[in-house]
Amino acid sequence: VRCQPSPPRRALQASAVLRRVSDEQKEPLASSSQQQFDAHPTNHQPEQEPQGPRPSYTGQGGQESEDYESEEQLQHRILTAALEFVPEHGWTAEAIAEGAKTLGLSAAAAGMFHSDGSELILHFVSQCNTKLSELLEQEQKLVQLGEAEKKPTDQFLRDAVQARLRMLIPYIEKWPQALSILLLPHNIPSSLNLLASMIDDIWHYAGDQSTDFNWYTRRAVLTGIYNTTELVMMQDSSPDFEDTWRFLENRVADAMNMGNTANQVQSTGEAVVQGLMGAAVTVSN
Amino acid sequence: AVGLCPYRALLARRGGALRALCGSVRGLAAGAETHFGFQTVTEAERREKIYRVFESVAKKYDVMNDSMTLGIHRVWKDILVHKMNPTPGTLLLDVAGGTGDIAFRFINYVRSVRERQLQRKLRHHQNLSWQEIAESYEEDKSKSLGDSQVVVCDINKEMLKVGKQKAQHLGYSKGLSWVLGNAEELPFDDDKFDVYTIAFGIRNVTRIDLALQEAYRVLKPGGRFLCLEFSQVSNSLLSRLYDLYSFQVIPVLGEVIAGDWKSYQYLVESIRRFPPQEEFKAMIEDAGFFKVDYQNLNLGIVAIHSGFKL
Repeated sequence: VRCQPSPPRRALQASAVLRRVSDEQKEPLASSSQQQFDAHPTNHQPEQEPQGPRPSYTGQGGQESEDYESEEQLQHRILTAALEFVPEHGWTAEAIAEGAKTLGLSAAAAGMFHSDGSELILHFVSQCNTKLSELLEQEQKLVQLGEAEKKPTDQFLRDAVQARLRMLIPYIEKWPQALSILLLPHNIPSSLNLLASMIDDIWHYAGDQSTDFNWYTRRAVLTGIYNTTELVMMQDSSPDFEDTWRFLENRVADAMNMGNTANQVQSTGEAVVQGLMGAAVTVSN
Repeated sequence: AVGLCPYRALLARRGGALRALCGSVRGLAAGAETHFGFQTVTEAERREKIYRVFESVAKKYDVMNDSMTLGIHRVWKDILVHKMNPTPGTLLLDVAGGTGDIAFRFINYVRSVRERQLQRKLRHHQNLSWQEIAESYEEDKSKSLGDSQVVVCDINKEMLKVGKQKAQHLGYSKGLSWVLGNAEELPFDDDKFDVYTIAFGIRNVTRIDLALQEAYRVLKPGGRFLCLEFSQVSNSLLSRLYDLYSFQVIPVLGEVIAGDWKSYQYLVESIRRFPPQEEFKAMIEDAGFFKVDYQNLNLGIVAIHSGFKL
C-alpha cells in the first residue's frame, strides 16, 4: 500500500474510492506506455514510478493533491453513469442512485446531489453542448483543410440545431420533465447560462463576427428558433422527427428573410418619405 | 467535587473488588480526563455514568422527549430521514438508536417509496396478461421493503429492550435487527452499510473521534454518515431563552415525569459541552469523510451533519 502525503486537513485517512479511481486511470497509462516502450524509452515504467505524469486537477479549494481525482470529477462520473438509467427512472435521484451503484458505490451517494435531479439534467445539457462544440470544431477544420465546402449560413444553422436536438432523442420521453425542472427558479441561472453559451458557440462557428447590435439580434433569433423547435420536437411523432426538421427549416428561412425584409422596409420607408417630401414641395409651389 | 460523591458511594456499594479494579485501571487507560456534563471525570467513570443515566431513563425516554421538546423532536427525526431519502435496498445502521425512532421512520419511508415504484411499474405494464399481473403481485408482496434493512445498535440493554417492545407494539418486524454494541468499537465488518445514522447519541460517546472512525470503517464506499444532534445557537436572544428553558425547566420536568433530576441535568449540560457546528464538521472531515456539510434546524438548536465516504 503506497503511503501518500495527504493534505493536512485529511490527516488521518485518504479516501477509499477516489484513490481507486486513480488506480483505474493508471492502467490505460501503463498499458500504452508498455506498448510504446521501444519507441519512447523516456516513458515512465509504471512499476517504478506509480505517480506517473498526470495533468493536475484544479480542485476547488486546492485541498486535493494532484494525484487524486477531485470530488467534482467523481460526481461527474456518477452523473454520466446515471444517464443510462434515465429512460427508465426519469431525471430523478433514483437514476443517480442506480448510476452510483454501477460505479461500485453505495446508492446513498446520490445524497450528494439535489433530490429533484437538477444536477443530472444540467450535467447532460453541458455534455451535449460540449459534444456540439467538438462537432462544429471538426467541421470547421475540414473546411479549413479544403476537404469540405463552406455551408451557407442558413444550412449551417439548420444542421447545427438539428445535430444538437438529435442528442435528445434517447431521452425524448422524459425530456419534458427535464425542461420543467430547468425552469425552476434555482436552476434558471445555470440553464440560461448553458443555453446562451451554446447559441454563442453556434454563431461563432457560423462565422459571425459582428460587433454591433446584430450580435444581440442574431443570438435572440437563434435562441427563439432553438427553443420553439425543441418544443415542437416534444410532441412530434413522425418517423425520425421529419416534421420537426421541416419546422426548423421554415423558421431558419423566416429568420433569413427577416433580415432582407428589414432592409426592404427601410428602403421602402425612405422612398415613401422622399415621395411625401416631393409632394409637399409641389403643393407648396 | 460535590457531584462525584454520590456516584463514588454507588461504586463502593457495587463491591470492593470493582472499586479496586477501577482504582487500578484509573491509573492506566482510563486515566484521561474528560467531562460528564459540567463535571470532570475519567473516561471509564464517564462511560459508567452515562450507562446508568440511560438505564434509569429508558422506560420514560420517549415521554420525556415529547415533553421536553414539545413534540418537535419528531419533526427533527422526520427531516433527518427525508434528507437521507433512502431507496429500497438500503442497509441502514442506526447507532445509539435505542428506542428505534429513526429505524421505524426509515422503514415507513422505504415502504412508501417501494409502493410508489410498484404503482409506476404497473402503470407501464398495461398490456400484461392476468396471470403475469397476479405473479407480479406475489413477488412484490414478498418484497414490500425491497430488501431494505435497518440494524439498531445501542450500548445500553435497557434502551434496546424498550425499543424491541415498541417495535412489537407498533407491528414492525421485517427488516429490523437489534444489536448490542459500542459506537467506539462496532461489532460489524468493514464496508457493510449504506447509511450510518446517529441521532442524539454522539454527544454521549466518550471518544467521539473513535466513533467517527468506526463509522467510516463500517460504511460502504459512497456510503453516507448522518448525525442529528443538539448544537450551538448563534442568535443571542434565542440563546438566552434556550438556556433559561434548559436549565430551569428541563430538570424539573425530569424530576416530575421520570423521577430523575440528575439525569436530565446531565443531559442539558452535555448539550452545552458538545462542540459547535464548524468544529464538529472538522472532526468528521478528519475521520476521512468528504463533502461534509451541516444543516441547522430551529436556528441551531439542532443540527444535521452529513458526510460521504468517497
